[in-house]
Amino acid sequence: MRIRNKVVSAGKICLLVILLLVGLIVLGCLGIKTAPEGGSGGTIADGTIFLCPALEQAAGFGCAAPAVEGKLVAVDISDGSRLWEAPLEASTPAGGGFGCAPSATPVAIYGNPVVAGDLVYVGGYNGKIYAINTSSGALRWVYPREGSLEPIVSGVVVALDRLYFGCSDGKVYALDTDTGDKQWEFSTGDKIWATPVIDGETLYIGSFDKKLYALSAVDGSKKWEFETEGAIASVPLVYNNTVYIGSFDRYFYAVGAADGKMKWEFLAEKWFWTRPVACNNTIYVGCFDGRVYILDAESGDEVVDAIDLGSPIYSWPVLVEDKVIVATEEGEIYAIDTANNQAELLADLAEAIYAPLCISDGVIYIYSLEQNLYALNAESGARLWSQTIE
Amino acid sequence: MGIGDIWNLIAMQPMINTLIVLTHYLFNSFGLAIIVLTIIVNGVMFPLTLKQIRASKSMQDLQPKIAELRKKYPKDKEKLAKEQMRLFKESGVSPAGCLLPLLIQMPIWIALFQSVMRVLAVIPENLVGLSQYLYSWPVVFFTLPLNNEFLWLNLAVGDMFLALLVGGTMWVQQKMIMTPTADPKQQAQSSIMLWMMPIMFAFLTLSFPSGLALFWVASNVIRISIQYSVGGWGGLVKTAAKRQTGRDEKYKQRIAEVEKTSEGADVVVPSSTQEEGLSYEESGGERQDRGGGYPKSLRATRRHPRRGGGHRRKGG
Repeated sequence: MRIRNKVVSAGKICLLVILLLVGLIVLGCLGIKTAPEGGSGGTIADGTIFLCPALEQAAGFGCAAPAVEGKLVAVDISDGSRLWEAPLEASTPAGGGFGCAPSATPVAIYGNPVVAGDLVYVGGYNGKIYAINTSSGALRWVYPREGSLEPIVSGVVVALDRLYFGCSDGKVYALDTDTGDKQWEFSTGDKIWATPVIDGETLYIGSFDKKLYALSAVDGSKKWEFETEGAIASVPLVYNNTVYIGSFDRYFYAVGAADGKMKWEFLAEKWFWTRPVACNNTIYVGCFDGRVYILDAESGDEVVDAIDLGSPIYSWPVLVEDKVIVATEEGEIYAIDTANNQAELLADLAEAIYAPLCISDGVIYIYSLEQNLYALNAESGARLWSQTIE
Repeated sequence: MGIGDIWNLIAMQPMINTLIVLTHYLFNSFGLAIIVLTIIVNGVMFPLTLKQIRASKSMQDLQPKIAELRKKYPKDKEKLAKEQMRLFKESGVSPAGCLLPLLIQMPIWIALFQSVMRVLAVIPENLVGLSQYLYSWPVVFFTLPLNNEFLWLNLAVGDMFLALLVGGTMWVQQKMIMTPTADPKQQAQSSIMLWMMPIMFAFLTLSFPSGLALFWVASNVIRISIQYSVGGWGGLVKTAAKRQTGRDEKYKQRIAEVEKTSEGADVVVPSSTQEEGLSYEESGGERQDRGGGYPKSLRATRRHPRRGGGHRRKGG
């Protein structure tokens, strides 16, 4: 090779290096999502499953142009055919964005829709709650009517003619289910991403301020609070006058439903995010460490050794007669027999699963991150149908 | 174990967990943690950075000689290359000297960059994904999710002021390492480096969470400090010096005019010495500049710096 080819000017080298650096920064950023995608689980009512598909993001990094419109889709559970879809429009951009910054908040939906009467309710990451007619998909009301709240990651629950949800502004809201008028609000010390649970006239909800709150569902007054050492994003389970909840501090807690006093705690390897289920005085709870812990509801002792499913568990499990159905992040569906606490692989969808599972008449409905909705037989795991819902 | 796993194990996990622990001990301020980690990483890479800066500086110092060679061999590229190689060899400068340390540092910067992005966990997907990078240290679990507020900033969203700061500090850094050159090609390259990069980064910053911009600003400020300690203000001062030279040229012209018009007439004497009844020589005054070069006959016209400049001629 000629010598002149070996000698490259320092300026050119440096320019190349800098361009390479920028390129690598760009590449380095790929894989880190900057815009919410959402993707809720399904809710079944009258032969229809309602769900909100995950948003498809444009390629890129900081300049990714997120989709600014989400939707609520109604699907026939018998064959997966689409009945209708209702667009959930983005709120008006709050000020212009610079450069390629997104100028509108995308309507990613994380929480499951909830059906009550002839309305289906859903909360969006754009800070709005939508009430939509179950048969036509027509919008009945939206809260707030003007502007928007902080992002809503929490799911909604309906009880006592009210709709309850937590918000990233750290508040718990109660709205009138018919009109969407605000009934009350309660402030916590940090963001709320957890879905509340109603038991009788008490609402239980965890917050990023590391506390579990028990509030009056009627007027929002605080009954008690229980402090953990980590933020709470998981959904509580109320069972036999005890509230069970997992925290980011890796502990799973049992707290008296009446007084908020801790009964026991159990330390796992990683965070708890998913909702526990209870059966025969036994608690089944999945963890980010890929294990399902099987605990005695009274003492917190492990009934059997934890079942290692090999990948993190984000999705909410469901109870089908005497079986707990659990989905792992990698898409494996297991059935844990509550009689002998043995796990059996029902199906391997090989697609990431984050959305809560739902069940109706012995059929499990699973929505994957790849936007496929599966209907599986809960006994055999056989696939009844699958549809792409996007 | 794939490359991704190895990368996570040796780069991402240590950085992410360190960031979280620092946040815990720095008053739960993620902004402070970013700044401190940037300082730590720069401290660890200081020998490499120093090597790179020195290599770049040596290379710049050789530019006049390289320019001479280019003039000498304008058409014989092979001869030019040969002579350049010999020059590098004799001067003990390696053209790759500034490149190698930079290449070694690059993965560390990328890891730091990615860590900041991941720990910010702006959206639920990020927070869920973050869990796989965490050590089993209780403090890590207690601290998450991090508080994104720092000063007036929400570290999760872009900030105009910080974008300008990124561009500004990057410009200063580029300017410091630049050497004036007569070669139009090099001038064009220098201009690209000087303006395009800061503008590009400032623009990118607007689209990224400001936590990342904070990291860039901190990095730039540290680099500026290191460069200053190695080679002073470099190109920044040279610009000022250039302006000074311009003034000196005017000054020389005016002196020449004075000399011409006052040939055989009175010598210009500073007013202060006149008033005090002292000649300049007697006053023991010395030239303030050490650059020298003025003819001795003009020294009498040289005055101590005085606001407003100008001279007063004796008589008229």
